[in-house]
Amino acid sequence: MIKITYKIIMLAFFSLLFSFNITFQLKGEEILTSLELKKGDIPLNPSKVELKKDPNGNWRLYVNGDVFPICGAGGASKAGLLEQLKIAGGNCVRTWGIGTLEDKVSDGERFIDRAWRLGIMVVPGIWVQHERHGFNYSDSSSIEKQRKEVIEAVKKYKNHPAVLMWGLGNEMEGVTSKDASEIVLKEVNHLAKLIKAEDPFHPVMTVIAFNPHKATQVKKLCPDIDVLGVNTYGAAAGAGTALKNVGWDKPFAVTEFGVKGFWEVQTTEWGAPYEQTSQEKAANYYSAHKLVFEENDGKELCLGTFAFLWGWKQERTSTWFGMFLPTLEKLPQVDAMTKAWTGNWPKNRCPVIKGLSSQAYGKVVKPNINITATINAIDPDGDKLSYNWSLLSEATDLRVGGEAETAPPVHNDLIIENNKPECTFKTPSTEGNYRLFIVISDGKGSAATANFPFKVKK
Amino acid sequence: MKTKEFVKKITRTLIGAFAIGILTLPLLAEPDYGDHSSSTLTTKAWNAMAQQQYDDALAYIAKCEELYGAEAKKMQASLTNYAPNDPKEETTKLWALNDVGTCMFIKGEVLLKKGDKKGALEAFNKLVKEYKYAQCWDPKGWFWKPAEAAKQKIVELQFENE
Repeated sequence: MIKITYKIIMLAFFSLLFSFNITFQLKGEEILTSLELKKGDIPLNPSKVELKKDPNGNWRLYVNGDVFPICGAGGASKAGLLEQLKIAGGNCVRTWGIGTLEDKVSDGERFIDRAWRLGIMVVPGIWVQHERHGFNYSDSSSIEKQRKEVIEAVKKYKNHPAVLMWGLGNEMEGVTSKDASEIVLKEVNHLAKLIKAEDPFHPVMTVIAFNPHKATQVKKLCPDIDVLGVNTYGAAAGAGTALKNVGWDKPFAVTEFGVKGFWEVQTTEWGAPYEQTSQEKAANYYSAHKLVFEENDGKELCLGTFAFLWGWKQERTSTWFGMFLPTLEKLPQVDAMTKAWTGNWPKNRCPVIKGLSSQAYGKVVKPNINITATINAIDPDGDKLSYNWSLLSEATDLRVGGEAETAPPVHNDLIIENNKPECTFKTPSTEGNYRLFIVISDGKGSAATANFPFKVKK
Repeated sequence: MKTKEFVKKITRTLIGAFAIGILTLPLLAEPDYGDHSSSTLTTKAWNAMAQQQYDDALAYIAKCEELYGAEAKKMQASLTNYAPNDPKEETTKLWALNDVGTCMFIKGEVLLKKGDKKGALEAFNKLVKEYKYAQCWDPKGWFWKPAEAAKQKIVELQFENE
């Protein structure tokens, strides 16, 4: 009896201990972060979410009576990333599909439950099919099936207290087209009506690949949509002004933003885009959020922003959109959002890249010759930096709309001198397009990245 | 004899001066301003920046502001908002404002590339204050607003200094 009581006490003690402390492993170095987690069962009471204007005339979300400016991110679906969002000062996360809510994250918990324990609100994405994927909006059985799936998703999660509002669709109107598909927008409005009939307690947002003309179409064809989500990169800072200029008067949120897209930057003579350094990206994240949410005309319509991507992915390069490395090391883009959200820098800052140079930078070079590249970086906290150079073929599996791409081959056998600010590498013997990457780490969970394209020709 | 020496000396000096003149001529020569129109100067400034010929770019920009700055300011003073883009002529008729404003944006970019952040900040601020309603045709099919882009650059520069 005493033994059993002892076991129960020890079990309770360790459960309590683990409920307060989250441990991640980072490149072999343990980072212990204390975060307060809500305990106990998840209550099945929806949060009261309202859309109204604040005393200054700005559209705002209110959660259980408190103003809720969206300090958000898209992604965070890997273990440890929700915790990183909380540490960085974020308060909200959006997903693209409903399935993410069930993903097992830290401590094996469901994504949506973990978010609630951390005090993070969730915008569950409810996928609306794209015509470019072959979905036929004139086919009544396909339409009925989609409607059923949407309502099932809403029924399943509408009472979860972490739900902020519904994210109905993502760029389903036609990601690359100038005009939105009218038949799709009409169906989006019908789905919004169905959601509101099922759940009158949460606003409904739909998300488009932004251009102002599409917003006028949404205004005309989707009167039941409460919030417009706009995915926009180079033009994020001016999104509110542009929306206002075309007569949009409902609230909006910037649902994807951050770096300049690969379609918006300068390219080499053979068309390879120059990726910004992580420091240049950080400046973009910070300025875009500050301007669209706090300064530019139209800010009164802006509910907040979702930084893209709270995680990592291969899209043109392995570092273009990701705000983290797969090691869970944060990049300067995360520090920039911390500064924008909280007004303060994080305790440990990422390395700052001042410049990357090489005689091969954006140039055509001969095969089998030795080339050097130099990175100029500092650490604001004075941490000792480590350097890791890698040489990759340029990606050839190029998709649209952010769809998954295959990573290109790595040629690290050609790196002659690594692990220093200066790298020597041998150019590949095969003609083609390549890219040299540098990752700088401070050994304390923060990193920085840069790369440049070059071409090998005999 | 003295006269011969004197002539030789003079000749040597003149040849030397001529040689120095020939050698330094390219350095002193002004860039080719073409037809001196604001659109030509702006295009040349863009191209020079792309080719990393930053001093040439600054010369085109200075010439554009010198020749058309006053007209640009007059156009700016006549506006209370951005000119409509439809029809396109409503925007393009503000040619001086559009080109001088765009040049001011290029100037900021060039100075940034040269490492002169203070000068860049001045150029971006000048654009926001004096040529706010300039618009620039993007070959991708729309007008963009240099002053809006400059505002973002200003915030980015402030961010870098924090």
